[in-house]
Amino acid sequence: MLDSEAIRTDFPILCRLVHDQPLVFLDSAASSQKPVAVLEAMEAAYRDCYANVHRGVYSLSEEATARYEAARDKVASFIHATSREEVVFTRNTTEAINLVAYTWGRAHLGRGDRILLTEMEHHSNIVPWQLLAQETGAGLVYLPVTDDGLLQMERLDDLLDGVKLVAFTMMSNVLGTITPARQIVEKAQAAGAVVLVDGAQGVPHLPVDVQELGCDFLAFSAHKMCGPTGIGVLYGRRELLEAMPPFLGGGDMIRRVELYRSTWNDLPWKFEAGTPAIVEGIGLGAAVDYLQGLGMDAVAAHEREMVAYAMERLGALEGLRIVGPPADRRGGVISFTFRGIHPHDLAHLLDLEGVAVRAGHHCAQPLHKRLGLSATARASFYIYNTAGDADRLAEALEKAAAVMGRVR
Amino acid sequence: MSDLYREHILDHYANPRNWGRLEQPDIIADADDPSCGDQVHIEIGLDGERRVARVAFEGEGCMVSMASASMFSEYLKGKSLEELRQLTEDDVLALLDAPIGPGRRRCALSPLIALRAGLAAYQ
Repeated sequence: MLDSEAIRTDFPILCRLVHDQPLVFLDSAASSQKPVAVLEAMEAAYRDCYANVHRGVYSLSEEATARYEAARDKVASFIHATSREEVVFTRNTTEAINLVAYTWGRAHLGRGDRILLTEMEHHSNIVPWQLLAQETGAGLVYLPVTDDGLLQMERLDDLLDGVKLVAFTMMSNVLGTITPARQIVEKAQAAGAVVLVDGAQGVPHLPVDVQELGCDFLAFSAHKMCGPTGIGVLYGRRELLEAMPPFLGGGDMIRRVELYRSTWNDLPWKFEAGTPAIVEGIGLGAAVDYLQGLGMDAVAAHEREMVAYAMERLGALEGLRIVGPPADRRGGVISFTFRGIHPHDLAHLLDLEGVAVRAGHHCAQPLHKRLGLSATARASFYIYNTAGDADRLAEALEKAAAVMGRVR
Repeated sequence: MSDLYREHILDHYANPRNWGRLEQPDIIADADDPSCGDQVHIEIGLDGERRVARVAFEGEGCMVSMASASMFSEYLKGKSLEELRQLTEDDVLALLDAPIGPGRRRCALSPLIALRAGLAAYQ
Protein backbone atom coordinates (compact mmCIF):
# COMPACT_ATOMS: atom_id res chain seq x y z
CA MET A 1 0.00 0.00 0.00
CA LEU A 2 1.07 3.55 -0.61
CA ASP A 3 1.80 5.81 2.30
CA SER A 4 0.07 8.88 0.94
CA GLU A 5 0.92 11.03 3.93
CA ALA A 6 4.61 10.40 3.25
CA ILE A 7 4.13 10.90 -0.49
CA ARG A 8 2.51 14.27 0.15
CA THR A 9 5.76 15.58 1.59
CA ASP A 10 7.37 14.99 -1.81
CA PHE A 11 4.99 17.51 -3.40
CA PRO A 12 5.74 21.05 -2.18
CA ILE A 13 2.63 22.57 -3.75
CA LEU A 14 0.38 20.50 -1.49
CA CYS A 15 1.52 22.63 1.45
CA ARG A 16 0.02 25.80 0.08
CA LEU A 17 -3.21 27.42 1.07
CA VAL A 18 -6.05 28.34 -1.26
CA HIS A 19 -8.54 30.86 0.11
CA ASP A 20 -6.87 30.37 3.51
CA GLN A 21 -7.57 26.64 3.47
CA PRO A 22 -5.13 23.79 2.91
CA LEU A 23 -5.27 22.80 -0.75
CA VAL A 24 -7.15 19.64 -1.69
CA PHE A 25 -6.04 18.95 -5.25
CA LEU A 26 -8.52 16.75 -7.12
CA ASP A 27 -7.67 17.53 -10.73
CA SER A 28 -4.80 15.17 -11.48
CA ALA A 29 -6.64 13.68 -14.46
CA ALA A 30 -6.11 17.06 -16.14
CA SER A 31 -2.52 17.41 -14.95
CA SER A 32 -0.73 16.03 -11.93
CA GLN A 33 1.45 17.86 -9.44
CA LYS A 34 5.23 17.38 -9.49
CA PRO A 35 7.44 15.80 -6.83
CA VAL A 36 10.68 17.39 -5.66
CA ALA A 37 12.65 14.67 -7.46
CA VAL A 38 11.33 15.90 -10.82
CA LEU A 39 11.81 19.58 -10.00
CA GLU A 40 15.37 18.93 -8.85
CA ALA A 41 16.28 16.80 -11.87
CA MET A 42 15.13 19.60 -14.16
CA GLU A 43 16.85 22.32 -12.22
CA ALA A 44 20.05 20.26 -12.08
CA ALA A 45 19.92 19.78 -15.83
CA TYR A 46 19.81 23.53 -16.35
CA ARG A 47 22.39 24.26 -13.67
CA ASP A 48 24.93 21.51 -14.27
CA CYS A 49 24.95 20.31 -17.83
CA TYR A 50 22.65 22.30 -20.08
CA ALA A 51 23.49 22.34 -23.77
CA ASN A 52 21.79 21.20 -26.94
CA VAL A 53 21.75 17.45 -27.36
CA HIS A 54 23.10 15.11 -30.06
CA ARG A 55 26.21 15.75 -32.15
CA GLY A 56 27.80 18.07 -29.58
CA VAL A 57 31.48 17.19 -29.30
CA TYR A 58 31.97 18.81 -25.95
CA SER A 59 31.35 17.65 -22.42
CA LEU A 60 28.20 19.63 -21.62
CA SER A 61 26.41 18.44 -24.72
CA GLU A 62 27.49 14.87 -24.14
CA GLU A 63 26.25 14.99 -20.57
CA ALA A 64 22.95 16.57 -21.56
CA THR A 65 22.50 13.98 -24.30
CA ALA A 66 23.24 11.17 -21.89
CA ARG A 67 20.63 12.38 -19.38
CA TYR A 68 18.05 13.03 -22.09
CA GLU A 69 18.54 9.67 -23.79
CA ALA A 70 18.60 7.91 -20.41
CA ALA A 71 15.04 9.14 -19.98
CA ARG A 72 14.10 7.24 -23.12
CA ASP A 73 15.55 4.05 -21.65
CA LYS A 74 13.58 4.60 -18.48
CA VAL A 75 10.34 5.07 -20.41
CA ALA A 76 11.05 1.99 -22.55
CA SER A 77 11.55 -0.10 -19.44
CA PHE A 78 8.52 1.47 -17.70
CA ILE A 79 6.14 0.35 -20.45
CA HIS A 80 8.15 -2.81 -21.30
CA ALA A 81 8.94 -1.77 -24.87
CA THR A 82 11.16 -4.22 -26.72
CA SER A 83 13.69 -1.51 -27.48
CA ARG A 84 14.39 2.19 -26.95
CA GLU A 85 13.92 2.79 -30.69
CA GLU A 86 10.21 2.24 -30.15
CA VAL A 87 9.93 5.23 -27.81
CA VAL A 88 9.38 8.49 -29.71
CA PHE A 89 9.24 11.71 -27.73
CA THR A 90 6.42 14.06 -28.73
CA ARG A 91 4.92 17.14 -27.14
CA ASN A 92 2.08 15.25 -25.47
CA THR A 93 -0.55 12.55 -26.07
CA THR A 94 -2.36 14.75 -28.56
CA GLU A 95 0.71 15.20 -30.71
CA ALA A 96 1.50 11.48 -30.51
CA ILE A 97 -1.97 10.61 -31.82
CA ASN A 98 -1.72 13.27 -34.53
CA LEU A 99 1.65 11.85 -35.53
CA VAL A 100 0.11 8.46 -36.19
CA ALA A 101 -2.88 9.94 -37.99
CA TYR A 102 -0.65 12.11 -40.16
CA THR A 103 1.96 9.53 -41.09
CA TRP A 104 0.61 6.01 -40.72
CA GLY A 105 -2.93 7.13 -41.45
CA ARG A 106 -2.17 9.01 -44.66
CA ALA A 107 -0.05 6.15 -45.93
CA HIS A 108 -2.53 3.37 -45.17
CA LEU A 109 -6.09 4.66 -45.25
CA GLY A 110 -8.24 5.41 -48.26
CA ARG A 111 -11.83 5.76 -49.36
CA GLY A 112 -14.08 3.14 -47.83
CA ASP A 113 -11.66 2.18 -45.06
CA ARG A 114 -12.93 2.49 -41.54
CA ILE A 115 -11.55 3.83 -38.28
CA LEU A 116 -13.16 2.49 -35.10
CA LEU A 117 -13.24 4.73 -32.01
CA THR A 118 -15.39 4.56 -28.89
CA GLU A 119 -18.01 6.98 -27.62
CA MET A 120 -15.93 7.67 -24.51
CA GLU A 121 -12.91 9.17 -26.26
CA HIS A 122 -11.27 12.46 -25.39
CA HIS A 123 -11.43 15.03 -28.19
CA SER A 124 -7.76 14.40 -28.92
CA ASN A 125 -8.59 10.82 -29.88
CA ILE A 126 -11.49 11.93 -32.08
CA VAL A 127 -10.52 15.09 -33.94
CA PRO A 128 -7.23 13.83 -35.50
CA TRP A 129 -9.21 10.93 -36.97
CA GLN A 130 -11.94 13.24 -38.24
CA LEU A 131 -9.29 15.27 -40.04
CA LEU A 132 -7.77 12.09 -41.46
CA ALA A 133 -11.19 10.80 -42.52
CA GLN A 134 -11.99 14.06 -44.30
CA GLU A 135 -8.71 13.95 -46.13
CA THR A 136 -8.70 10.28 -47.13
CA GLY A 137 -12.39 9.51 -47.50
CA ALA A 138 -12.20 6.94 -44.72
CA GLY A 139 -15.21 6.56 -42.41
CA LEU A 140 -15.51 6.73 -38.63
CA VAL A 141 -17.36 4.11 -36.60
CA TYR A 142 -18.00 4.27 -32.86
CA LEU A 143 -18.23 1.49 -30.31
CA PRO A 144 -21.12 2.67 -28.12
CA VAL A 145 -21.13 2.98 -24.34
CA THR A 146 -23.83 1.66 -22.02
CA ASP A 147 -25.88 3.95 -19.80
CA ASP A 148 -23.59 3.13 -16.91
CA GLY A 149 -20.49 4.03 -18.85
CA LEU A 150 -19.06 0.72 -20.02
CA LEU A 151 -18.16 -0.20 -23.58
CA GLN A 152 -20.74 -2.32 -25.37
CA MET A 153 -18.25 -5.10 -26.03
CA GLU A 154 -20.86 -7.38 -27.58
CA ARG A 155 -21.04 -4.92 -30.48
CA LEU A 156 -17.30 -5.02 -31.17
CA ASP A 157 -17.12 -7.97 -33.56
CA ASP A 158 -19.77 -6.57 -35.91
CA LEU A 159 -18.32 -3.08 -35.88
CA LEU A 160 -14.82 -4.33 -36.73
CA ASP A 161 -15.92 -5.21 -40.24
CA GLY A 162 -13.79 -3.26 -42.74
CA VAL A 163 -11.89 -1.47 -39.95
CA LYS A 164 -8.22 -0.72 -40.58
CA LEU A 165 -7.48 1.22 -37.42
CA VAL A 166 -8.86 1.02 -33.90
CA ALA A 167 -8.08 3.85 -31.46
CA PHE A 168 -9.41 3.79 -27.92
CA THR A 169 -8.65 4.91 -24.39
CA MET A 170 -7.37 2.64 -21.62
CA MET A 171 -9.31 4.71 -19.13
CA SER A 172 -12.03 7.30 -19.65
CA ASN A 173 -11.11 10.73 -18.34
CA VAL A 174 -14.77 11.38 -17.54
CA LEU A 175 -16.24 8.08 -16.41
CA GLY A 176 -13.08 6.60 -14.97
CA THR A 177 -13.98 3.40 -16.80
CA ILE A 178 -11.02 1.10 -17.30
CA THR A 179 -11.57 -0.49 -20.69
CA PRO A 180 -10.83 -4.18 -21.47
CA ALA A 181 -7.82 -3.07 -23.50
CA ARG A 182 -6.21 -6.45 -24.02
CA GLN A 183 -9.45 -7.95 -25.30
CA ILE A 184 -10.06 -5.05 -27.71
CA VAL A 185 -6.50 -5.24 -29.04
CA GLU A 186 -6.81 -8.99 -29.63
CA LYS A 187 -10.11 -8.76 -31.45
CA ALA A 188 -9.04 -5.76 -33.50
CA GLN A 189 -5.81 -7.37 -34.61
CA ALA A 190 -7.58 -10.63 -35.41
CA ALA A 191 -9.80 -8.55 -37.70
CA GLY A 192 -6.68 -7.15 -39.37
CA ALA A 193 -6.71 -3.70 -37.79
CA VAL A 194 -3.83 -1.70 -36.38
CA VAL A 195 -4.48 -0.56 -32.81
CA LEU A 196 -3.60 2.70 -31.09
CA VAL A 197 -4.20 2.90 -27.35
CA ASP A 198 -4.70 6.32 -25.78
CA GLY A 199 -2.78 5.92 -22.54
CA ALA A 200 -3.11 9.53 -21.32
CA GLN A 201 -5.12 8.34 -18.31
CA GLY A 202 -3.96 4.72 -18.25
CA VAL A 203 -0.19 5.01 -18.12
CA PRO A 204 -0.02 7.38 -15.11
CA HIS A 205 -2.35 5.22 -13.06
CA LEU A 206 -2.06 1.56 -14.10
CA PRO A 207 0.78 -0.88 -14.72
CA VAL A 208 1.26 -1.01 -18.50
CA ASP A 209 3.18 -3.63 -20.44
CA VAL A 210 2.95 -2.99 -24.18
CA GLN A 211 4.08 -6.50 -25.00
CA GLU A 212 1.35 -8.06 -22.91
CA LEU A 213 -1.15 -5.49 -24.17
CA GLY A 214 -0.04 -6.20 -27.73
CA CYS A 215 -1.00 -2.78 -29.08
CA ASP A 216 0.70 -1.28 -32.13
CA PHE A 217 0.81 2.26 -30.75
CA LEU A 218 0.50 3.74 -27.27
CA ALA A 219 0.33 7.49 -26.62
CA PHE A 220 0.74 9.26 -23.27
CA SER A 221 1.83 12.53 -21.64
CA ALA A 222 4.45 13.22 -18.98
CA HIS A 223 2.47 15.95 -17.24
CA LYS A 224 -0.25 13.61 -16.02
CA MET A 225 2.31 11.26 -14.44
CA CYS A 226 4.30 13.62 -12.20
CA GLY A 227 6.42 14.89 -15.08
CA PRO A 228 6.59 18.28 -16.80
CA THR A 229 4.41 19.68 -19.55
CA GLY A 230 5.76 19.80 -23.08
CA ILE A 231 6.79 16.18 -23.43
CA GLY A 232 4.86 13.06 -24.27
CA VAL A 233 5.49 9.66 -25.72
CA LEU A 234 4.48 7.69 -28.75
CA TYR A 235 5.34 4.03 -28.40
CA GLY A 236 5.14 2.21 -31.72
CA ARG A 237 6.06 -1.29 -32.83
CA ARG A 238 9.36 -1.05 -34.65
CA GLU A 239 8.17 -2.50 -37.99
CA LEU A 240 5.39 0.05 -38.17
CA LEU A 241 7.58 3.00 -37.20
CA GLU A 242 10.23 1.97 -39.70
CA ALA A 243 7.73 1.80 -42.55
CA MET A 244 6.08 5.12 -41.69
CA PRO A 245 7.03 8.34 -43.47
CA PRO A 246 8.38 11.09 -41.21
CA PHE A 247 6.13 13.57 -39.40
CA LEU A 248 7.71 17.02 -39.08
CA GLY A 249 10.76 17.87 -41.15
CA GLY A 250 13.81 19.66 -39.80
CA GLY A 251 17.00 19.18 -37.88
CA ASP A 252 17.71 15.95 -36.00
CA MET A 253 15.27 13.85 -38.02
CA ILE A 254 17.57 13.68 -41.08
CA ARG A 255 20.59 11.62 -42.04
CA ARG A 256 21.66 13.55 -45.13
CA VAL A 257 20.20 16.70 -46.62
CA GLU A 258 20.78 17.71 -50.20
CA LEU A 259 19.23 20.63 -52.01
CA TYR A 260 16.36 18.64 -53.50
CA ARG A 261 16.10 15.54 -51.34
CA SER A 262 16.94 14.16 -47.93
CA THR A 263 17.18 10.85 -46.14
CA TRP A 264 15.92 10.16 -42.65
CA ASN A 265 17.59 9.48 -39.36
CA ASP A 266 17.20 6.17 -37.53
CA LEU A 267 14.41 5.47 -35.07
CA PRO A 268 13.32 7.12 -32.89
CA TRP A 269 14.87 10.42 -34.05
CA LYS A 270 13.22 10.11 -37.48
CA PHE A 271 10.10 11.44 -35.75
CA GLU A 272 11.81 14.07 -33.59
CA ALA A 273 12.46 17.14 -35.72
CA GLY A 274 14.09 20.19 -34.18
CA THR A 275 15.65 20.75 -30.79
CA PRO A 276 13.64 18.52 -28.46
CA ALA A 277 12.26 19.32 -25.01
CA ILE A 278 15.58 18.36 -23.44
CA VAL A 279 15.04 19.26 -19.82
CA GLU A 280 11.42 18.14 -19.95
CA GLY A 281 12.64 14.77 -21.19
CA ILE A 282 15.00 14.57 -18.24
CA GLY A 283 12.08 15.51 -15.99
CA LEU A 284 10.01 12.70 -17.48
CA GLY A 285 12.84 10.30 -16.71
CA ALA A 286 12.79 11.43 -13.09
CA ALA A 287 9.00 11.05 -12.98
CA VAL A 288 9.28 7.48 -14.24
CA ASP A 289 11.89 6.74 -11.57
CA TYR A 290 9.58 8.21 -8.96
CA LEU A 291 6.54 6.15 -10.02
CA GLN A 292 8.60 2.99 -10.35
CA GLY A 293 9.87 3.58 -6.85
CA LEU A 294 6.28 3.50 -5.64
CA GLY A 295 5.35 0.59 -7.89
CA MET A 296 2.52 0.91 -10.38
CA ASP A 297 0.59 -1.97 -8.80
CA ALA A 298 0.57 -0.03 -5.55
CA VAL A 299 -0.42 3.18 -7.38
CA ALA A 300 -3.39 1.44 -9.00
CA ALA A 301 -4.42 -0.22 -5.71
CA HIS A 302 -4.29 3.12 -3.90
CA GLU A 303 -6.54 4.76 -6.47
CA ARG A 304 -9.02 1.88 -6.34
CA GLU A 305 -9.20 2.33 -2.60
CA MET A 306 -9.54 6.11 -2.86
CA VAL A 307 -12.28 5.97 -5.45
CA ALA A 308 -14.24 3.32 -3.54
CA TYR A 309 -14.13 5.45 -0.40
CA ALA A 310 -14.94 8.69 -2.23
CA MET A 311 -17.86 7.13 -4.12
CA GLU A 312 -19.31 5.88 -0.86
CA ARG A 313 -18.81 9.27 0.81
CA LEU A 314 -20.25 11.28 -2.11
CA GLY A 315 -22.99 8.76 -2.78
CA ALA A 316 -24.33 9.48 0.70
CA LEU A 317 -24.99 13.12 -0.21
CA GLU A 318 -28.60 13.76 -1.14
CA GLY A 319 -29.00 14.75 -4.78
CA LEU A 320 -25.53 13.71 -5.86
CA ARG A 321 -25.38 11.59 -9.00
CA ILE A 322 -22.16 9.91 -10.04
CA VAL A 323 -21.83 9.11 -13.74
CA GLY A 324 -20.05 5.98 -14.86
CA PRO A 325 -19.56 2.46 -13.59
CA PRO A 326 -19.16 1.07 -10.06
CA ALA A 327 -15.87 1.53 -8.23
CA ASP A 328 -14.47 -1.86 -9.21
CA ARG A 329 -14.58 -0.95 -12.90
CA ARG A 330 -12.88 2.42 -12.71
CA GLY A 331 -9.68 4.30 -11.96
CA GLY A 332 -9.41 7.37 -9.78
CA VAL A 333 -11.94 9.56 -11.57
CA ILE A 334 -15.41 10.54 -10.35
CA SER A 335 -17.59 12.85 -12.44
CA PHE A 336 -20.86 13.93 -10.90
CA THR A 337 -23.78 16.30 -10.85
CA PHE A 338 -25.18 17.69 -7.62
CA ARG A 339 -28.69 19.01 -6.95
CA GLY A 340 -28.95 20.73 -10.32
CA ILE A 341 -26.18 23.17 -9.38
CA HIS A 342 -24.25 24.13 -12.50
CA PRO A 343 -20.79 22.52 -12.42
CA HIS A 344 -19.14 25.94 -12.85
CA ASP A 345 -20.85 27.17 -9.72
CA LEU A 346 -19.92 23.97 -7.91
CA ALA A 347 -16.26 24.20 -8.89
CA HIS A 348 -16.19 27.85 -7.89
CA LEU A 349 -17.78 27.23 -4.51
CA LEU A 350 -15.50 24.24 -3.84
CA ASP A 351 -12.48 26.39 -4.69
CA LEU A 352 -13.50 28.79 -1.96
CA GLU A 353 -13.07 25.85 0.42
CA GLY A 354 -9.64 25.07 -1.03
CA VAL A 355 -10.89 22.10 -3.06
CA ALA A 356 -9.77 22.03 -6.72
CA VAL A 357 -12.04 20.09 -9.08
CA ARG A 358 -12.70 20.51 -12.80
CA ALA A 359 -16.03 21.50 -14.31
CA GLY A 360 -17.23 21.26 -17.88
CA HIS A 361 -17.21 18.61 -20.56
CA HIS A 362 -13.61 17.50 -19.88
CA CYS A 363 -12.85 17.48 -23.61
CA ALA A 364 -15.45 14.79 -24.18
CA GLN A 365 -18.48 16.54 -25.66
CA PRO A 366 -19.78 13.50 -27.57
CA LEU A 367 -19.73 11.42 -24.39
CA HIS A 368 -21.60 14.08 -22.43
CA LYS A 369 -24.17 14.28 -25.20
CA ARG A 370 -24.53 10.50 -25.15
CA LEU A 371 -25.13 10.62 -21.38
CA GLY A 372 -27.58 13.51 -21.76
CA LEU A 373 -25.43 15.93 -19.77
CA SER A 374 -24.09 19.32 -20.79
CA ALA A 375 -21.41 19.42 -18.15
CA THR A 376 -20.24 17.64 -15.01
CA ALA A 377 -17.94 18.33 -12.09
CA ARG A 378 -15.00 15.94 -11.85
CA ALA A 379 -12.85 14.94 -8.91
CA SER A 380 -9.78 12.88 -9.80
CA PHE A 381 -7.42 11.17 -7.39
CA TYR A 382 -3.74 10.36 -7.51
CA ILE A 383 -0.96 9.03 -5.33
CA TYR A 384 -0.97 12.03 -2.99
CA ASN A 385 -4.70 12.05 -2.27
CA THR A 386 -6.02 10.68 1.00
CA ALA A 387 -9.39 9.71 2.44
CA GLY A 388 -9.24 13.08 4.19
CA ASP A 389 -9.35 14.76 0.77
CA ALA A 390 -12.57 12.91 -0.06
CA ASP A 391 -13.97 14.05 3.29
CA ARG A 392 -13.04 17.67 2.56
CA LEU A 393 -14.73 17.36 -0.86
CA ALA A 394 -17.92 16.02 0.69
CA GLU A 395 -17.94 18.78 3.33
CA ALA A 396 -17.33 21.48 0.72
CA LEU A 397 -20.19 20.09 -1.37
CA GLU A 398 -22.51 20.37 1.62
CA LYS A 399 -21.48 23.99 2.07
CA ALA A 400 -22.05 24.68 -1.63
CA ALA A 401 -25.50 23.15 -1.32
CA ALA A 402 -26.23 25.45 1.60
CA VAL A 403 -25.25 28.54 -0.42
CA MET A 404 -27.18 27.53 -3.51
CA GLY A 405 -30.01 26.05 -1.47
CA ARG A 406 -31.02 29.56 -0.46
CA VAL A 407 -32.16 30.21 -4.01
CA ARG A 408 -34.03 26.98 -4.61
CA MET B 1 -18.93 32.66 1.79
CA SER B 2 -17.94 34.41 -1.39
CA ASP B 3 -18.22 37.91 -2.71
CA LEU B 4 -19.44 36.45 -5.96
CA TYR B 5 -22.22 34.44 -4.38
CA ARG B 6 -23.77 37.52 -2.78
CA GLU B 7 -27.41 38.11 -2.19
CA HIS B 8 -28.10 40.30 -5.20
CA ILE B 9 -26.60 37.76 -7.57
CA LEU B 10 -28.32 34.84 -5.88
CA ASP B 11 -31.54 36.82 -6.05
CA HIS B 12 -31.30 37.46 -9.79
CA TYR B 13 -30.50 33.78 -10.30
CA ALA B 14 -33.47 32.62 -8.24
CA ASN B 15 -35.85 35.28 -9.54
CA PRO B 16 -34.76 36.18 -13.04
CA ARG B 17 -36.25 39.47 -14.25
CA ASN B 18 -37.90 39.66 -17.68
CA TRP B 19 -37.98 35.89 -18.03
CA GLY B 20 -39.83 34.60 -21.06
CA ARG B 21 -40.43 35.55 -24.68
CA LEU B 22 -41.89 38.56 -26.52
CA GLU B 23 -44.84 38.58 -28.92
CA GLN B 24 -43.04 40.27 -31.79
CA PRO B 25 -39.39 40.87 -31.03
CA ASP B 26 -37.31 43.13 -33.27
CA ILE B 27 -33.98 41.74 -32.19
CA ILE B 28 -33.32 38.12 -31.33
CA ALA B 29 -29.99 37.41 -29.68
CA ASP B 30 -28.48 34.02 -28.90
CA ALA B 31 -25.27 32.80 -27.38
CA ASP B 32 -24.27 29.32 -26.45
CA ASP B 33 -21.04 28.04 -25.00
CA PRO B 34 -20.47 24.40 -25.84
CA SER B 35 -17.70 24.26 -23.25
CA CYS B 36 -20.22 24.36 -20.40
CA GLY B 37 -23.61 24.10 -22.08
CA ASP B 38 -24.61 27.66 -21.14
CA GLN B 39 -27.29 29.17 -23.38
CA VAL B 40 -28.73 32.67 -23.37
CA HIS B 41 -31.63 33.80 -25.57
CA ILE B 42 -32.60 37.49 -25.47
CA GLU B 43 -35.51 39.13 -27.29
CA ILE B 44 -35.80 42.90 -27.67
CA GLY B 45 -38.72 45.02 -28.84
CA LEU B 46 -38.06 48.59 -30.02
CA ASP B 47 -40.38 51.60 -29.76
CA GLY B 48 -41.09 54.21 -32.45
CA GLU B 49 -37.82 55.98 -31.70
CA ARG B 50 -35.97 52.71 -31.99
CA ARG B 51 -35.23 52.54 -28.31
CA VAL B 52 -35.53 49.36 -26.24
CA ALA B 53 -39.12 49.17 -25.01
CA ARG B 54 -39.43 45.51 -24.10
CA VAL B 55 -36.88 42.84 -23.17
CA ALA B 56 -37.29 39.17 -22.40
CA PHE B 57 -34.75 36.44 -21.92
CA GLU B 58 -34.53 32.73 -21.33
CA GLY B 59 -31.55 30.56 -20.79
CA GLU B 60 -29.84 27.74 -19.07
CA GLY B 61 -26.53 27.93 -17.32
CA CYS B 62 -24.54 28.70 -14.25
CA MET B 63 -25.52 31.28 -11.69
CA VAL B 64 -23.13 33.88 -13.04
CA SER B 65 -24.42 33.70 -16.61
CA MET B 66 -28.09 33.67 -15.59
CA ALA B 67 -27.78 36.45 -13.02
CA SER B 68 -25.79 38.51 -15.51
CA ALA B 69 -28.46 38.01 -18.19
CA SER B 70 -31.20 39.01 -15.74
CA MET B 71 -29.41 42.22 -14.72
CA PHE B 72 -28.54 42.91 -18.34
CA SER B 73 -32.19 42.62 -19.38
CA GLU B 74 -33.12 45.38 -16.94
CA TYR B 75 -30.19 47.52 -17.98
CA LEU B 76 -31.10 47.47 -21.68
CA LYS B 77 -34.47 49.18 -21.29
CA GLY B 78 -34.63 52.66 -22.76
CA LYS B 79 -31.34 52.38 -24.59
CA SER B 80 -31.04 53.42 -28.23
CA LEU B 81 -29.69 51.10 -30.88
CA GLU B 82 -26.51 53.10 -30.92
CA GLU B 83 -26.16 52.77 -27.16
CA LEU B 84 -26.67 49.02 -27.44
CA ARG B 85 -23.90 48.84 -30.01
CA GLN B 86 -21.53 50.70 -27.73
CA LEU B 87 -21.99 48.49 -24.66
CA THR B 88 -18.68 47.18 -23.40
CA GLU B 89 -17.58 44.20 -21.39
CA ASP B 90 -16.83 46.53 -18.49
CA ASP B 91 -20.45 47.74 -18.55
CA VAL B 92 -21.65 44.17 -18.00
CA LEU B 93 -19.09 43.40 -15.31
CA ALA B 94 -20.06 46.62 -13.52
CA LEU B 95 -23.69 45.43 -13.39
CA LEU B 96 -22.68 42.33 -11.51
CA ASP B 97 -20.68 44.40 -9.03
CA ALA B 98 -18.76 41.35 -7.84
CA PRO B 99 -15.27 40.01 -8.43
CA ILE B 100 -15.26 37.99 -11.66
CA GLY B 101 -12.12 35.91 -12.12
CA PRO B 102 -10.79 34.94 -15.52
CA GLY B 103 -12.43 31.52 -15.24
CA ARG B 104 -15.92 33.07 -14.95
CA ARG B 105 -15.53 36.00 -17.31
CA ARG B 106 -17.11 34.21 -20.24
CA CYS B 107 -20.11 33.23 -18.09
CA ALA B 108 -20.65 36.85 -17.05
CA LEU B 109 -20.29 38.16 -20.59
CA SER B 110 -22.61 35.66 -22.26
CA PRO B 111 -25.57 38.10 -22.53
CA LEU B 112 -23.33 40.70 -24.19
CA ILE B 113 -21.98 38.06 -26.58
CA ALA B 114 -25.60 37.22 -27.41
CA LEU B 115 -26.58 40.86 -27.89
CA ARG B 116 -23.67 41.52 -30.24
CA ALA B 117 -24.66 38.52 -32.36
CA GLY B 118 -28.28 39.73 -32.36
CA LEU B 119 -27.30 43.26 -33.37
CA ALA B 120 -25.12 41.94 -36.17
CA ALA B 121 -28.08 40.02 -37.53
CA TYR B 122 -30.42 43.03 -37.15
CA GLN B 123 -29.59 45.67 -39.69
